[in-house]
Amino acid sequence: MNLTLFLLALFDGIAYAALVFIVAVGLTLIFGVMRILNVAHGSLYAMGAYLTASLTTFIVAAGLPPIFAFPCMLVSAVLIGAVIGGPLEWLLLRRIYHKPEVLQLLVTFAIFMILEDVQRLVWGTQPIFQSAALQLLGNVRVFSVNYTVYQLILLPMVAVALLLGLRFFLRRTVAGKLIVATTEDREAAQAIGIDADKVFLLTFIVGAGLAGLGGALASPTTSILPGIGADMIVLSFAVVATAGLGQIEGAALTALLIGLGRSFAVYVWPETQVLVPYLIMVAVLLVRPEGLFGSPAARKI
Amino acid sequence: MTHLLETKGLEIRFGGVVAADNITLQIDAGKNLAIIGPNGAGKTTFLNICTGWLKPASGKVYFEGRDVTPLSPRAITRLGVARAFQIPQLFTEHTALENLLIATAARDRLRNPIRALKDTRQRAEMMHLLDMINCTDAAHQQVDELSEGQRKLIDIAVALALRPKLLLMDEPTSGVASSEKFDVMEILVKALAEAEVTAVFVEHDMGIVERYADEVAVWNMGKIELRGTPQEVLEHPDVIRDVIGEVA
Repeated sequence: MNLTLFLLALFDGIAYAALVFIVAVGLTLIFGVMRILNVAHGSLYAMGAYLTASLTTFIVAAGLPPIFAFPCMLVSAVLIGAVIGGPLEWLLLRRIYHKPEVLQLLVTFAIFMILEDVQRLVWGTQPIFQSAALQLLGNVRVFSVNYTVYQLILLPMVAVALLLGLRFFLRRTVAGKLIVATTEDREAAQAIGIDADKVFLLTFIVGAGLAGLGGALASPTTSILPGIGADMIVLSFAVVATAGLGQIEGAALTALLIGLGRSFAVYVWPETQVLVPYLIMVAVLLVRPEGLFGSPAARKI
Repeated sequence: MTHLLETKGLEIRFGGVVAADNITLQIDAGKNLAIIGPNGAGKTTFLNICTGWLKPASGKVYFEGRDVTPLSPRAITRLGVARAFQIPQLFTEHTALENLLIATAARDRLRNPIRALKDTRQRAEMMHLLDMINCTDAAHQQVDELSEGQRKLIDIAVALALRPKLLLMDEPTSGVASSEKFDVMEILVKALAEAEVTAVFVEHDMGIVERYADEVAVWNMGKIELRGTPQEVLEHPDVIRDVIGEVA
């Protein structure tokens, strides 16, 4: 493997890891606080991508400068979190927190299936491609390799900012402490007057918004077509399970591990590209069933 | 005059068991009430109804003259009714001080949710509270490293951090070593008096009841069998037979 190929694989891996982390951290946050594995997270990712592409196409067609693609991403993420995530928690998930895990998985899987069809109804089955944001930032040359600024610099920056921001929020701020407290002991939290329902609702909105943000950020880099949500939920679940459910910092490192593993596989042994993330997951879980950073009965966020 | 807490005709049953049968009771500010009675008499049920965790089939709960029966536990807590648990329910991965600060944060709502937890003013207030319960040393220890007696006191301090007017305690000394019991109660009663909080506590240790209660109510089969001063109640032949005989 020469330097050019190595750098390409490295950059692919980093860019991909950044996207996967942004989606996976939402999944792990929701699991950490509510103990629910939200399969529909993948649909929220896909809808974030679709919505961003539509909004961007609309503003470009309206003659506005392409820089407005970035606010479109934020708007999409917020809409996905608030308009889809909020009612989901409030109308459906709230009823199943105390139910067996199998039922929770079935319900969130059903939501996933419904949302997949909603996407087909709204956006059709033809691939959509809208890369205004990617093109706007141009390329950067590293040694012999040309790579997009968007993927090499912007995506990792967003991922790192998100990681540091969440860490700071949960460890150092009042609102974060109240969320952690509710996670530790819901009854005690309610006894001191914390509105656990509200904590759950807000956490789910934030987590769903992160799935939407992941999709929004991914949209300029790929064709958006049915099935991207399924790919992403499976992969981000692999990241979350490998890291240990509810581990935020762990999810970042694992996303990098799996992202790099996958991209190097593409260049070295392309047939295994799809397999590598799961091989990593299986290898880790065989040795440490609680995940790389999980401890069997310790804190979850 | 309005009572601090008043219940009228509370009724609740679980399957065939009558846990509250026409419970009518008044509690006045400044008079600490002990609730005694055999297991299964409905003592904890009564606390759960007063704090809103259980809704009675019929009957009303009034706090400072206001009907709080339909309110959520959270709303009742906000009005000034706090509770401490039989088994301390603390956030075990935090220090004692952090537990108290979390309670103050919940009490003060989130005017600025992004501010740091270790706000200096609240910190000083909570250190004073820890001082009141003789637990200053424990401030920076994780609560799961503390003794059961200290954990009980911290749990009660968490309730006091909410600045309640009425504190309901389910067996404040259960699980505390008998050598520690009177010390814990001594500290507790002093802290309650200083914070001007009226206490209602379920208790099995008649020594504690005699020494620290202003009034005693005897529960039996979901009913209040007797109510009076500790002397009147503890010397009553029915109580000696039904309650003291059983638990002593």
